[in-house]
Amino acid sequence: MGGSTLANRVRSMRDQRDHMTQQALADAVGVSRQTIIAIEQGRYSPSLEVALKIAQAFGEPVEQVFWFTEGVDSQTMIGNLQ
Amino acid sequence: MSSLSFHEKSAIGTLVALWFIGIFYFHSVWDLWQAGQLHPASMTGLATGLTILLVIVLVGYHILIAATARPQQEDERDRIIAWRAGNISGVVLGVAVIGIVVHILIGGFFGNALAESPMLIANALIAAVLLATVVELVLTLVFYRRGL
Repeated sequence: MGGSTLANRVRSMRDQRDHMTQQALADAVGVSRQTIIAIEQGRYSPSLEVALKIAQAFGEPVEQVFWFTEGVDSQTMIGNLQ
Repeated sequence: MSSLSFHEKSAIGTLVALWFIGIFYFHSVWDLWQAGQLHPASMTGLATGLTILLVIVLVGYHILIAATARPQQEDERDRIIAWRAGNISGVVLGVAVIGIVVHILIGGFFGNALAESPMLIANALIAAVLLATVVELVLTLVFYRRGL
C-alpha cells in the first residue's frame, strides 16, 4: 500500500446527522474529543477498532466513512471534501 | 488553552517547570563549581530542594488543570503518542549516556575535568536525563499538534 493514505468523511457525516457534536461522537466511540478532531483533520489514522466504532455510530459500513487515497495526502483530501 | 487536552496541558506545564528549575539548577551547579564548592553535600541539598519544589509545582499545576478540564480517559492516540515520544527520548538518553562514557574514557587520557570529578559526571548524567525528558515532552506536543 505504498503511497496510500487514509481519508474520511467523519465531519460531513456528523453534519448530516443533525450536527452531531464531536463530543457526542467521541463519547459514542470511547475516545477523546481531541482524537475525533485529529481524525477529521487527517492528523491521525484510527485503529480498525475505532474506525469500526465510528462507522457503527453513523450506521454506515466502514468503507463509506474511511477509504484509501493514492498520491494525495489525507489532510488535503479531507480539506477538499469539506 | 481550552482546545488543548489534559495531556497537552500537562506536557506544557511540565516542560515550563522543568525548563526554569533545570536552568536554575545548572546555573547554581556552575556557580558552585567555579567557587570550588561542588561537593556531595551541597549538590545533594540543591538537588533535593529543587526536586521537592518541582514536585510541589507539578502537583499544584495538575490539580488546577484537572479541576478546570473535562475529565477524559486515555485513549489509543494518547497511548501511541506517549509510546512514540518515549521511544525517541530513550534513544536520546542512550546516546547522551554513551557520549558521556566515551568522553570520560577518552578524556581520562588527557586529564579532562569530567573524567576526574564524580560531581561533574553526576551532573552530566542529570543533564542527559533532563535533555531526554525535554525531548519527550516536546515530541509529545508536536505529535498532538501536527499528527503522528
